[in-house]
Amino acid sequence: MRRENREREAGVMAVPSAEKFYAMLRSAAVAGLRILDEVPVIRIGTATCGIAAGALLVRDTFRDELNKRGIEARVMEVGCMGHCYAEPMVIITKPGFPSLCYNNVDEELAIHLVDDFLARGDPCYEFAMAALEPNDFFPTFQDFPRGIYEEKMILGDCGLIDPQEIDHFLARDGYLALCKALQTESNQVLQEIKKANLRGRGGAGFPAGEKWDMARKAPGEIKFVICNGDEGDPGAFMDRNILESNPHLVIEGMIICAYCVGASRGFLYIRSEYRQAVCRMERALEQAREKGLLGERILGSNFSFNLEIFTAAGAFVCGEGTALVKSMEGKMGIPEHRPPELAESGYLGKPTVLNNVKTFCYVPPIILRGARWFRDVGTPESPGTAVFALAGKISAPGLVEVPMGTTLRQLIDDVGGGVPHGKRFKAVQIGGPSGGCLPEQALDIPIDFDSLLGAGAMMGSGGIIVLDEDDCMVRIARFFLNFTQEESCGKCTFCRLGTRHMFRILDDIIRGKGEMGQLETLRRLAEDIKIGSLCNLGKTAPNPVLTTLRYFFDEYRAHISEKRCPALSCPELTVYFIEPKRCSKLCNVCIGSCPVEAIFTRDDGLKAIDQEKCVKCDNCLKACPPDYSAVIKLSPLSLLDERLGKNK
Amino acid sequence: MQEKDLIPVLERIQKKYGYLPLQALKSVARELGVPAVQVYGAATFFKQFRLNPPGKYQIEVCMGTACYMAGGQVALDSFERRLKIGVGETTPDGEFSLERVACVGCCNLAPVAVVDNVVEKNVTPTRVDGILLSLGLSEENKENKENSNAQGK
Amino acid sequence: MSKKVTITIDGRRISAHEGEKLLWVALDSGIYIPHLCAIRGQDRPPAGCRLCFVEVGGRLGPVTACTEPIREGMVVRTRTPRVDRLVETAFRLLLSDHRLDCKNCTKNGRCELQVIARERGLGPDRDPLQPLPAKTYIDESPRTFVFDPGRCVLCGRCVWVDQQVAGVGAIGFSGRGIRRRVTTFGDSNLAESPCTECGLCVEVCPVGALFFKLPAKKTKGDS
Ligand SMILES: Cc1cc2nc3c(=O)[nH]c(=O)nc-3n(C[C@H](O)[C@H](O)[C@H](O)COP(=O)(O)O)c2cc1C
Ligand code: SF4
Ligand code: SF4
Ligand code: FES
Repeated sequence: MRRENREREAGVMAVPSAEKFYAMLRSAAVAGLRILDEVPVIRIGTATCGIAAGALLVRDTFRDELNKRGIEARVMEVGCMGHCYAEPMVIITKPGFPSLCYNNVDEELAIHLVDDFLARGDPCYEFAMAALEPNDFFPTFQDFPRGIYEEKMILGDCGLIDPQEIDHFLARDGYLALCKALQTESNQVLQEIKKANLRGRGGAGFPAGEKWDMARKAPGEIKFVICNGDEGDPGAFMDRNILESNPHLVIEGMIICAYCVGASRGFLYIRSEYRQAVCRMERALEQAREKGLLGERILGSNFSFNLEIFTAAGAFVCGEGTALVKSMEGKMGIPEHRPPELAESGYLGKPTVLNNVKTFCYVPPIILRGARWFRDVGTPESPGTAVFALAGKISAPGLVEVPMGTTLRQLIDDVGGGVPHGKRFKAVQIGGPSGGCLPEQALDIPIDFDSLLGAGAMMGSGGIIVLDEDDCMVRIARFFLNFTQEESCGKCTFCRLGTRHMFRILDDIIRGKGEMGQLETLRRLAEDIKIGSLCNLGKTAPNPVLTTLRYFFDEYRAHISEKRCPALSCPELTVYFIEPKRCSKLCNVCIGSCPVEAIFTRDDGLKAIDQEKCVKCDNCLKACPPDYSAVIKLSPLSLLDERLGKNK
Repeated sequence: MQEKDLIPVLERIQKKYGYLPLQALKSVARELGVPAVQVYGAATFFKQFRLNPPGKYQIEVCMGTACYMAGGQVALDSFERRLKIGVGETTPDGEFSLERVACVGCCNLAPVAVVDNVVEKNVTPTRVDGILLSLGLSEENKENKENSNAQGK
Repeated sequence: MSKKVTITIDGRRISAHEGEKLLWVALDSGIYIPHLCAIRGQDRPPAGCRLCFVEVGGRLGPVTACTEPIREGMVVRTRTPRVDRLVETAFRLLLSDHRLDCKNCTKNGRCELQVIARERGLGPDRDPLQPLPAKTYIDESPRTFVFDPGRCVLCGRCVWVDQQVAGVGAIGFSGRGIRRRVTTFGDSNLAESPCTECGLCVEVCPVGALFFKLPAKKTKGDS
């Protein structure tokens, strides 16, 4: 530690050997990977999303089939390219052919590909999704509508490199930025980050450079750098994807940050549910240490930095900086009043830099290509790109990276392919529990930190959920309030009790027990919780309610005064009904589909639902053949009596 | 061991026993030199920790935003109905326990449930029956369970 | 100690040590600010009850007085429409989770909730909030006092004195969110906990959640 201090005082001097050190590492990596240019390579996406879709089976099938036929090829596990709708995804690179990507691969297709493509030479274009490089045969991802908007600053290597092999990262100039930084005076490196105006990607958009500067200037010899990989938003998964698909990029960013602020130790705070991410990160750390890229005297310089993983035990509030630090200290994750900021007094009372996973990922490319390169993308106030997890009622869900300033409409309609099944778009939920629901008329808002705030939403974590006509806005508000009231740490009055009351009112409303007067209470509580809460969990918790009240007031009113759910989604206000005119009499699928035997055959052969037994599971509606579509939903409940009366 | 190692230590204990026995919490407190009630506080604060033994089969229903909107609640209701337990509970025979989890990151397969660490996609009520059947919860079994429950009371 | 500075609270000029927390400076000068969770001498006050809001010149929103160090020339207002509204909401929220039965409570007349109600003219009547289900369990196991969680406002004073002043560690917080409560290890009775019945926690409890069994055992100074 004393060494570092001296170093800082002297202003770190150029270290001539770092460059040579790095050049050696890199050329060894490149040489080791040359084999990949000679034999066919099969890349299989085995991030959590891929595994969930069955990628491991596909991997084993490829291995077995190749073995059986004695074909020499490499099967490589890679991360996720972000096309979640297409998992399991496989990329086959065979000398003489463009690299081709195949979507939704199963065992059968895997065998087929081995037989036709790898054994013979027919690339099975009919199953291919896209080519990776421009060629004369097949379109690339750039020709996709999302390719036009996407601009990959940090996701570029995800899904292409093997996250478990550091050589893949090195061969693509990984750790070159670190090498460059170590040869530059640390303050100059910091100034570059400041010039880039890199804003934190964890939600609030605080300038990273300023935070680092604060920690750098804070007195004390021991300082920490922590990466926030808690990712508690229930609809977001981009941080996990990055940790699983390109762990070294995060590590490199963290080391550079540590170099700037003079930290000697760091932690990756990753939730323990993210087993795969923890596993891959552990391996990555080990390899980085082996290569001398982490630990004592990094790249032969006199800068040392140790990095370890802290597995979080699961509490959304621990994403908040002070709570995160508390939980690392062995206490309950309860936020504290600020100031002091973490940069002055953080983990164990020492100056601490806390940044999001993505924030660290932008650091190496900025150092490598300069602040100008970064600022040329995005908007002046929010430069760079934004990473989103698109989900919900959207044709092409997945992970996307677009320049800041892209509009929500472009993101949903063009990048995500719009709302599927000919349904009508209703709203987009952005920013998870701290964000809000924006309607059609807000879709032309450019996505950046400040514009979204103006509309009542928030960049938040970057989870985007598209909602269509079948989704009830009161219900979604209740879902988020239920989440926050469960995840509130419980320390402060507004958040602990206020969100509980808000949840109770919303719950009353979706059950048809609400009163118009409660809406005023709801709004008042929401406004007070926003101001009165201690931390940002409480301060942002009312956003889903405030935005839905603002943009979808009609739905609240329908639930309360008409006891009607306009989206036919709230079970308490909706009944399932079999339209006698449409029921075929001869088919029985609905009866078989019902898990509680609520459907029976009437004397006249038509099917009907015993409302007492029905649990509103939606099974019969899905089961009824499209030719008949006899099962319908009715709301309010009184419509049922009307129908029954009419049809008798 | 220091106070700051508390969470990793608890994680290790849970990995070993499947839950956090009170006795173990007490020894941890002694070991770390902190009040036992502080250890208890942390153990009850974090979602990962459980103070009761889990079932042989762990069923986790995703309640991420996308899964919720796609019918996650219906799936959870179905599990509760079939197993006759609520979230966070274990069946009396110790076979099944039911939990809800936040987004497992396969929103395009929604609604999903994680059954013994394997992701099950499109979990409709019918699929719930299928899953439970494959884990040995037969109709017959269900009846037995009902009977034994009734007798127990 | 640090130098003396002069600040203005509700038009009154007050001089005190720089960096001292505004809440205590105001209280010491006889200016009331509602408060439940703060304890004098805490390095980092919990700032959990959210009752001590005031407005400080130059600051955008209301701030909590228990965490606000005083600076030369600070201008403070303890009663503004924004502050009053926040205090009222926080008070009503706490009341919705408090088993109201003042008649039968030993703290009747000395309860801090009653003080707040009196000072701010807040009655329980206009309350639009449905009371939350009350906790019914009462721990009467200690020889000298009783713990009634149904009346607890979770200010944390008892936990603080137990751990920091008495150094016993018998009680602490458990759970999260609405399930947060003051309890012992494993939710056992206090009698089975390391509790020494020193009574410090009972003395600091601002409401009737912790109270002595015998009226004779009342303490001298309840500051
Ligand atoms: C309740 C709550 C949850 C949060 N969760 C996360 C999270 O999961 N990941 C994250 O990076 N930041 C999260 N944040 C924001 C962090 O507190 C912090 O601002 C961020 O990690 C700073 O990094 P950045 O400047 O790079 O964004 C959360 C904040 C709050 C109040
Ligand atoms: S706002 Fe909520 S989470 Fe934050 S300190 Fe208060 S109770 Fe805890
Ligand atoms: S028992 Fe009394 S002192 Fe302890 S937290 Fe509750 S109200 Fe505060
Ligand atoms: S006394 Fe300031 S928040 Fe409780």
